[in-house]
Amino acid sequence: MTRYHLELVFAALVFLMGAIGVYGATLLDTGWGADGPQAGFFPFRVGLILMAASALVMAQAVVSRVSLRRIPITDHEGMKRVLGFGLPIIVMVALAQWTGLYVAMALYLLFTIRFRGKRPWHVALGVALGVSIATFLVFETWFQVPLLKGPLEIMLGLG
Amino acid sequence: MLSNIDSLMHGFGVALSGYHIMLMMGGVLLGILVGVLPGLGAPNGVTLLLPLTFGMDPVSAIILLTSLYWGALFGGSTTSILFNIPGEPSSVATTFDGYPLARQGRATEALTCAFVSAGFGALVGVVVITLLSTAVANFALRFGPPEYFAVYLLAFSSFIAFGGGAPLKTIISLCLGFGLGMVGIDTVSGSMRLTFDIDQLVSGISFLVVVIGLFGLGELLLTIEDGPEFKGASGRIDPREMLRAVARMPRYWLAMLRGSAVGIWMGITPGGPTAASFMSYGIARRVSKNRANFGKGEPEGVIAPETADHSAGTAAMLPMLSLGIPGSATSAVMLGGLMIWGLNPGPMLFIEQHDFVWGMIASMYLGNVIGVVLALATVPLFAAMLSVSFSIIGPIIVTVCMVGAYTVASSPFDLWIALVFGAVGYAMKKLDYPLAPLILAMVIGDKAEDAFRQSMLSSDGSLGIFWSNWLVGGITTLAILFLLWPLVTLLRRPAQTTDPDAVTHEP
Repeated sequence: MTRYHLELVFAALVFLMGAIGVYGATLLDTGWGADGPQAGFFPFRVGLILMAASALVMAQAVVSRVSLRRIPITDHEGMKRVLGFGLPIIVMVALAQWTGLYVAMALYLLFTIRFRGKRPWHVALGVALGVSIATFLVFETWFQVPLLKGPLEIMLGLG
Repeated sequence: MLSNIDSLMHGFGVALSGYHIMLMMGGVLLGILVGVLPGLGAPNGVTLLLPLTFGMDPVSAIILLTSLYWGALFGGSTTSILFNIPGEPSSVATTFDGYPLARQGRATEALTCAFVSAGFGALVGVVVITLLSTAVANFALRFGPPEYFAVYLLAFSSFIAFGGGAPLKTIISLCLGFGLGMVGIDTVSGSMRLTFDIDQLVSGISFLVVVIGLFGLGELLLTIEDGPEFKGASGRIDPREMLRAVARMPRYWLAMLRGSAVGIWMGITPGGPTAASFMSYGIARRVSKNRANFGKGEPEGVIAPETADHSAGTAAMLPMLSLGIPGSATSAVMLGGLMIWGLNPGPMLFIEQHDFVWGMIASMYLGNVIGVVLALATVPLFAAMLSVSFSIIGPIIVTVCMVGAYTVASSPFDLWIALVFGAVGYAMKKLDYPLAPLILAMVIGDKAEDAFRQSMLSSDGSLGIFWSNWLVGGITTLAILFLLWPLVTLLRRPAQTTDPDAVTHEP
């Protein structure tokens, strides 16, 4: 993965976002009525600008592809670290949708600290429980801001 | 201006209560913490704390949030100097000379210079706010929708002209922000926009969740990629060396004044603290009489970016309060906070919310003094904290970000949004897309659109209203000139067009 590829991929995504915006705007009135611009007027044009600007970025990247190809986005080790850090977060968010945030974050902390951080079990368990309980006390008790809860909290009578 | 001094004294009366001083100390300490920890910075520190202030009185809430901001600015410098890891984007320039100083065993001197000059820069910023804010607000009271639109346009286009990023990428960043801000119910017509029948999008995409993704998770991914090893210089502070360093500070008066001036300019125009600190360092390196020593451990190379960083941070509060236009990503978040607390940022704030405005300004004096003292006192503590392995701290920061994303609107869907923007933020950083314009556009994009559409309502759809008097005409013309500025530079230096990977920042 070089900078050249990432430039192209990201610009393509922006282009897609622009296209979605343009499509979404055409579901509304994109015109200029008697009282000025209608609801779809700005979304339509912002979408067009995004498409044009991302196309230009892609063109620029192609023009200077020789130098951009020489810039690596990250090395193999870096990529592994980023994925190793990012993927468990995705799992946690997916898990949180039905177990609630407390259980998901405790499990996430437990497993990342144990297996990615290679810390002993008692450290991982201590941090996982400590952070979850501290979060519960700060948010639910102190500031009275309820967080996402799941079956476990309901079973314990905390939900 | 004399009446401002009276108001300020009144403000001190509001701010000087035991509870508020406690909030300031708590805010500064939390701020230093988020500033020191990579992945947590001022914009998302403020974002994370914001949902907890919904039940507070607005004065107390803003004191807490601004204090956190000052703390974060101080904390960012600590890691820059001791570990060569900027805790904040705006303290990158501090690493250039701060870390070499620390390596030479002059960490105490570097930290003292950084904190004292930062405190100085902040005080200059607050003095400017004290003197100018009512004048700006009174001036802005005459503004109608066309003037507001012109000023918003000026804010957006000055990002393109002076933001420091590649103009095309700044435009993309701004337009992504506009687009994201448009999702949800259209405030003028009441129709659904860009929601595609997805229930979770009806209430819009919260910029707070986007900030947590872009600035929080995105930064963490960048940090983890480098495999951070906090092998830094010693964080031990020698009190006698500290006093000697303070005594030497007046020698650098010129650098401090220059840095403050750069910072105030960049803070009021939406260049922000990051651009200010780089610019100030760049200027000092060119004109200082110690320039030969820059990059090798020159105290002036710490003082120049630090004064500019903090004066920009404080000065950014001026347009936020008096015009409702934020000058930095963090003040954009605070502006969002003001609206959530039920205040209407802009000139009316000075009339309707006298206690709030002056209590906040007074707290900026106190908060920064407390900041300098606490920052110096807690260096060993926070330096020790970084010796705890990132394999433990990193995941904890992730959970803090996720909890923060959820508390914004109690929506599980927001966790996914934060996650997506974490990846987006990582890619944008890698490709030198500026992040602040995206946030600014999200926060004030729909206000700009409303102002535009209200202007059109009153002018029967004629654009001539933006040139209907000298004031609005002048601002609009200036904004359009700024917008065209990149084209001018392209024509002047055609060689640069084929070199998009040119380094945008000084070393």
